[in-house]
Amino acid sequence: MSNSHLFLKSGFPRAPLQNGLGRYVCQLQRITLKFCKNNGSSRGMRDFIENHLVDFAKENPGIVVYVKPRRHRTPVLVGEYLNGDREWLSCRNSTQDEISKWIDLLKTQNGSSSSMRLRKMWHTDVPSIQGPWTPFLLRSPDANNQTLPNKEASQPFDIPQTATEKLIELFKQQKLEEGKAGDEILEQKRAE
Amino acid sequence: MSIAKRVQQWATFARTWHIYDCTWQNPFESAQLVKTHLMGLHKPIYHPMNDCGDHVVVINTKEIALPGDEWVKRVYFHHTGYPGGASWTLAWQLHEKDPTMVMKKAVYNSMRGNLQRRYTMQRLHLFADDQVPEEILTNVTNQIRTPRTVPQRLDHIDKETLENFPAIVDYPKDYVLR
Repeated sequence: MSNSHLFLKSGFPRAPLQNGLGRYVCQLQRITLKFCKNNGSSRGMRDFIENHLVDFAKENPGIVVYVKPRRHRTPVLVGEYLNGDREWLSCRNSTQDEISKWIDLLKTQNGSSSSMRLRKMWHTDVPSIQGPWTPFLLRSPDANNQTLPNKEASQPFDIPQTATEKLIELFKQQKLEEGKAGDEILEQKRAE
Repeated sequence: MSIAKRVQQWATFARTWHIYDCTWQNPFESAQLVKTHLMGLHKPIYHPMNDCGDHVVVINTKEIALPGDEWVKRVYFHHTGYPGGASWTLAWQLHEKDPTMVMKKAVYNSMRGNLQRRYTMQRLHLFADDQVPEEILTNVTNQIRTPRTVPQRLDHIDKETLENFPAIVDYPKDYVLR
């Protein structure tokens, strides 16, 4: 993102007042079509107004439609929303099909989409089936009883056997094999 | 927010207290571990913009072990801001003055220099020995495992164990034991 996006609003995808559940309220309240009566860049807009605008207004009685001719200016679409947003759209050199698609977009979105950066591209009412994580999750029950600090809890998990431990182990094994005789030999050697 | 949700929020963002024993540990290796817990990097909920760092109580800092000849080669720089105010202190000199300082600086330097670093350092509690005040010790619920084992010193092994240690070699008869 560039510096021009520093002051862009950010948010999460949401439907205002659970719009679409049970009833649907069109969030687009007003639409203004500005165009020029004789400039070529307004050609598509003029065609749209001539052929489709009346049908559009009849189909959507909740949307107020303004048509504003102005000389030698670029054709423009301005939508005003229930939440106070205002979306401005240049339709320079657009055909009437393109314009009807843009108007359809303005009609179906719930606010000005270009003035908000989405932090998540999805929405869920159930963020986690397992439940949110806590620091006490998956902790060993032994942790409740031990007094800290202690030596066992401080040691690393995988300690390789030292040479000393190996030696003592070998010695014990030897002792078991030889029985008492081994002890006597050892004592003799000590005495020497 | 319902009561259940509020409690869930407290549980998820609860600050845990960890204890870390510095005995015979490399402070620069330990700093990485301590930093992870201080910043909350070990948590699945970590995000640089959420405040999920834990408290770490570091004990026995006077027992740290610097690698190689770092005690005499490592130099800590300080400048008072006045002309001629620069001073260079060797690690062993600093350790003599304040046995917690080497560890503290190791943790401080392991973190990036941003606005959050000072506040993260406030959650670090350093103690030269294992005498920790009771009100701090009661909070502790976890001990951080050290990266290295603590070696056992010969003069700390009890006499009985030493005497019962198996003889490895037979000395020749004319060998002089000192």
